[in-house]
Amino acid sequence: MGFEERLRRIRGQAPDPTPAAPAADRPALAERLRRVGVGRTADRIPVGMPDEGALANALGAESLAPGVLRLERRLSNDRRYGRVLPAGMTAWGELPWGEAGQNGGGGLEARAAGAWLCLDTETSGLAGGTGTWAFLTGLLRADGGEWLLRQYLLTRLDAEPVYLDLIAAELTRTAALLTYNGRAFDAPLLATRFRLAGRADPLDDLPHLDLLGPTRRAFARRWPDCRLVTAESRLLGFQRSGDLPGAAAPAAWLGWLRRGETAQLAAVLRHNRDDLLSLAGLLPALAGVYRDPAAHGADCRLVAAAWQRRDPACALRILAANRQDLDASGLHDLARLYRRAGDWVQASGIWEALAARGDANARAALARYCEHHRGDLTRALLLTQSLPAGPERERRQARLRIKLDRERPAGQIELAIEPYSTGT
Amino acid sequence: MPDSGRLPAAPDQAVIRLQERLTTRYQARISGALVRPATPAAWLDLPPELAPGLAAALIARGVPRLYAHQREAFDLARAGRHLVVATPTASGKTLCYNLPVLDAVLRDGRKALYLFPTKALAQDQVAELTELGRALTAAGGTGIRAYTFDGDTPGDARKAVRTRGDLVLSNPDMLHQAILPHHTKWAQFFEGLAFVVVDELHSYRGVFGSHVANVFRRLRRICRFYGVSPTFIFTSATIANPAELAQRLCGEPVAAITRSGAPQGERSLLLWNPPVINPDLGIRASARSQTTRIARMAVKSGLKTIVFARSRLMVEVITKYLKDVFDKDPRRPPRVLAYRGGYLPSDRRAAEQALRAGRVDLVVSTSALELGVDIGALDVAILNGYPGTIAATWQRLGRAGRRLRPSLGVLVATSDPLDQYLVRHPEFFFDASPEHARIHPDQLLILLEHVRCAAFELPFRDGDQFGAEDLPEMLSYLRDEGVLQRQGDQWFWVADSYPANAVSLRSVAEGNFVVIDTTGGAATIIAEVDWSSAPGTIYVGAIYMIQSQPYQVERLDWPGRKAFVTRTRADYYTDAIDYTRLKILDRFEGRASGAGAAPGGVVAQGEVHLVRRYPGYKKIRYYSHDNIGYGNIDLPDQELHTTAVWWQAQPAALEALLPDRQQAIEGFLGAAYALHHVAALRSMAELHDLGRAVGDGQGTWFAVTGNDGRGHLRGPDNALVEETAVARFEPTLFLYDNYPGGVGLSAPLYDAAETLVRDARELVAGCGCSGGCPACVGPVLPGDAERAITPRAATLRVLGLLEGSCATDAAADHGV
Repeated sequence: MGFEERLRRIRGQAPDPTPAAPAADRPALAERLRRVGVGRTADRIPVGMPDEGALANALGAESLAPGVLRLERRLSNDRRYGRVLPAGMTAWGELPWGEAGQNGGGGLEARAAGAWLCLDTETSGLAGGTGTWAFLTGLLRADGGEWLLRQYLLTRLDAEPVYLDLIAAELTRTAALLTYNGRAFDAPLLATRFRLAGRADPLDDLPHLDLLGPTRRAFARRWPDCRLVTAESRLLGFQRSGDLPGAAAPAAWLGWLRRGETAQLAAVLRHNRDDLLSLAGLLPALAGVYRDPAAHGADCRLVAAAWQRRDPACALRILAANRQDLDASGLHDLARLYRRAGDWVQASGIWEALAARGDANARAALARYCEHHRGDLTRALLLTQSLPAGPERERRQARLRIKLDRERPAGQIELAIEPYSTGT
Repeated sequence: MPDSGRLPAAPDQAVIRLQERLTTRYQARISGALVRPATPAAWLDLPPELAPGLAAALIARGVPRLYAHQREAFDLARAGRHLVVATPTASGKTLCYNLPVLDAVLRDGRKALYLFPTKALAQDQVAELTELGRALTAAGGTGIRAYTFDGDTPGDARKAVRTRGDLVLSNPDMLHQAILPHHTKWAQFFEGLAFVVVDELHSYRGVFGSHVANVFRRLRRICRFYGVSPTFIFTSATIANPAELAQRLCGEPVAAITRSGAPQGERSLLLWNPPVINPDLGIRASARSQTTRIARMAVKSGLKTIVFARSRLMVEVITKYLKDVFDKDPRRPPRVLAYRGGYLPSDRRAAEQALRAGRVDLVVSTSALELGVDIGALDVAILNGYPGTIAATWQRLGRAGRRLRPSLGVLVATSDPLDQYLVRHPEFFFDASPEHARIHPDQLLILLEHVRCAAFELPFRDGDQFGAEDLPEMLSYLRDEGVLQRQGDQWFWVADSYPANAVSLRSVAEGNFVVIDTTGGAATIIAEVDWSSAPGTIYVGAIYMIQSQPYQVERLDWPGRKAFVTRTRADYYTDAIDYTRLKILDRFEGRASGAGAAPGGVVAQGEVHLVRRYPGYKKIRYYSHDNIGYGNIDLPDQELHTTAVWWQAQPAALEALLPDRQQAIEGFLGAAYALHHVAALRSMAELHDLGRAVGDGQGTWFAVTGNDGRGHLRGPDNALVEETAVARFEPTLFLYDNYPGGVGLSAPLYDAAETLVRDARELVAGCGCSGGCPACVGPVLPGDAERAITPRAATLRVLGLLEGSCATDAAADHGV
């Protein structure tokens, strides 16, 4: 017996369809699913006809190929963005990101002077996986005395290969990428899309500076969160008005695909443009933060730590200027920098102060200082004796005793050794 | 002869002597004794031209040559043929896949995906592979990188697994939810993928197997995208249809290797039925008392022994009883050890180590030791109760038997019908396996969910195939649901969701209930209950048992799928009353029932619509089984559209045989009870995978066991119907597939209908009770045994009628 016939027979006996039930010419499958009790009586989604021409007009975009629109704008680079002037990308040089891992390897400095590209995508969802699309890719770069904004919008699903080729072409003219959370989100997602389209991933070997890391370093303990909107309002003084939340982007795009809606897509493009401009503004703003963290309410100790390798003098300057606000680990950092700079007076001053507050690490540092630099073995031994018990202390004590024995003439009465006293 | 003071004999002799003593002393309890003679090893040489270092490493590991089946597997695998190895426990199955895989890894840098049904098995395998890898490096070869990938793999290690692993050991759930939907991250791995190894094939049956077959359809689709077509290697316990199952799972022909070349000592199996202590009620001595007795004798004879119990609680109880005997002195290292899930991994590893080193004389375990955990070989295996499948029985028995030495297995029956049936049918254990593992990958709901997941992973193109249903129709359905869009010749995923997260491989429709213990203000999840069995087990007022600790259901959050319970000390349990009405929607096929000379009915299969109502429940006191009260259940009717097999008796023949309709109803209810149990056995299903009902095919009445313990007829409105008021009395016995849409359980039952009726009749006829008992026809009332036609006799007449044999046969009536 044929499937259709079976179905008809059963339908005759089945309970009356509910008013919401599909029409009689509904595919058999849906009917069968309904019968076994799990068919979603999903409202049939009204299908509007996406009209690409109308969308291009509404957005002021040009059609590059069927299914791919590009919105291009030139923005004067002397226009303020919030409080700041998104001055060129040269500000990278004022940032300490030489750290491995942050920048995707070397070559950043060499290549970064020129073609920086800010990149931000909007996606069909946050779930990740191969079913998530990057339907909008916004790119912002300095071009002559202006900003050049280009937003590529995918308006037909089968046009993705063309869309990706156009993005890849942009990236070949790029020396380095600037993103916000791009390492964890945009870059892997684009990698997936390129892979699915059978193309090499052009982001793969580009240096990539993700400003989320530096922002977190400076502000994770100071701000409720480190989202881009938080950063732009606190650092750039920029307040968006009528912004479409990023989380609404998927629905906007799906609304276009399913029903041809254009209004929300325009809002997504504005949101994306604001994100890119914030990103561009954030770079010089963060450069300012990293020069003078205290002035921006940033975490001085962590900012200074970021400088330690590339510019220890800068780290020292930051910590020294904020010495009164440092906690014990910050003071240790500062003392270490003084020590490396050969300023033993400052270093030992910090240790003395810390040791007086009962800081064992400071006593250990002082003991080493007394032993190796001041030659004050007696004090070194006193300090060592006050350290927490353990093999390390025993080893040092033994070593100091041997040294003391060597220095003292035989038979000299050993000093009575009192525990180190914190009282003056 | 006293046991003590005698030196244990050499194990060879001791095993034989123990067996002799058991058989002579307890002859009446042994319902079957079978011996498999020793078989010598069949050796073949290592394959020529193995990858450099591999042969040397094998020789260093004590493998200078292979068992015949291992070599056979290697040759097939190297030729790119899918294969399944279904040989006994401890026959060296892992080398059947490790050898071809390692050869491909070392020679060509290929990769392999190993899938195990559980995490623990994957971790054991990594340990073994690591040792092989060490032997390889020692032999001057390159090493191998084998990593597990499961829910415990830390985020920062996952990238290394994806990009650097030669062998990735995982499970089907991870493949389904984490690997396939992110296949681009695994691109490198897929591009090199040469083998997919699937261990414990026999566990991929029913709903789980049907899902996994679809996961493999998705896997092969992704493999095609990356231009590879890996070879599948399956290993399985002994079941009747390993090649067919493997073929259904991977969608291509699979060669089967079923003859083991591993040597085996003589194996004896005793089927042990505890003595009847109350013949009227059919009550036997507990299996536990028999198990501990046999275990004591085995250990005192100096034999290394393993006891398998079916629940964690029973493991603890038996362990305690045996420790009371053997571990009285706390200063001595323990001789008795318990092993089960729920222990810390480190404790389990320590126990395994102690077992391998022979420091322990007796281990009591759940199924946790049934699978491939290495504990060395023992002499005696005692099974406290039938494990549920013949395949699992052999896996457990296989724990006894050191190479070429005799071993002894004892299966101690409980009073469950299945146990009672099997213990009287030794042929189930020694003939070819009767168990067919069935899957139904094209079950509509399961298939649709995986089409959804597959569409997320890669767009479908017109002309693509996925399963046996009409793919364009399914894709259109998903488009109308809004998750797909068709453009050009492709179907693209366009929803903001991750469909694999909504699909559990272990159930048909989503929505298992969790049972939450709120005792003392806490909120601890203590169990999960299948959606379909929830209404009959966790209604408000129900006593819900976990390891014999009773909990009472205080509140049921039906839409939220939660039941809130508290610990209780109730001295009763609850039993839901359910009225099942069943209507035949479509009869696919039918035929005269039975092979006998006088067909007395028909058997048919088709689609049915089922409405189950739970009006209330009974409270039943322990031990006395008195009915001490009722409660109401307030739940909506449960509807199920599924497939079923049914038997109908010819009205005239039935009338001649059982003129009293009341008795005819009881006969049908008893027959349904017995058929339900033997059908679960044949189809490797759990009892709750199938349902049973007795009624007439038109839905005008249904038979239920009423509060008085008697069968009654009820109409569609649940009103009582007088038997005599029914004009055309044509009772119909249904066994239905208890999953929405059916998962393919009923069609094989239809094919095997004659066997099932015969099995059921033998179950009832061979029972040790007089008038019927829970081990054959279900609970009966006191006094039933004295009736002229007992429930058991009525059942036998009905089954005889359905079997087509002369049903008034005196032997059938009186059960021999």
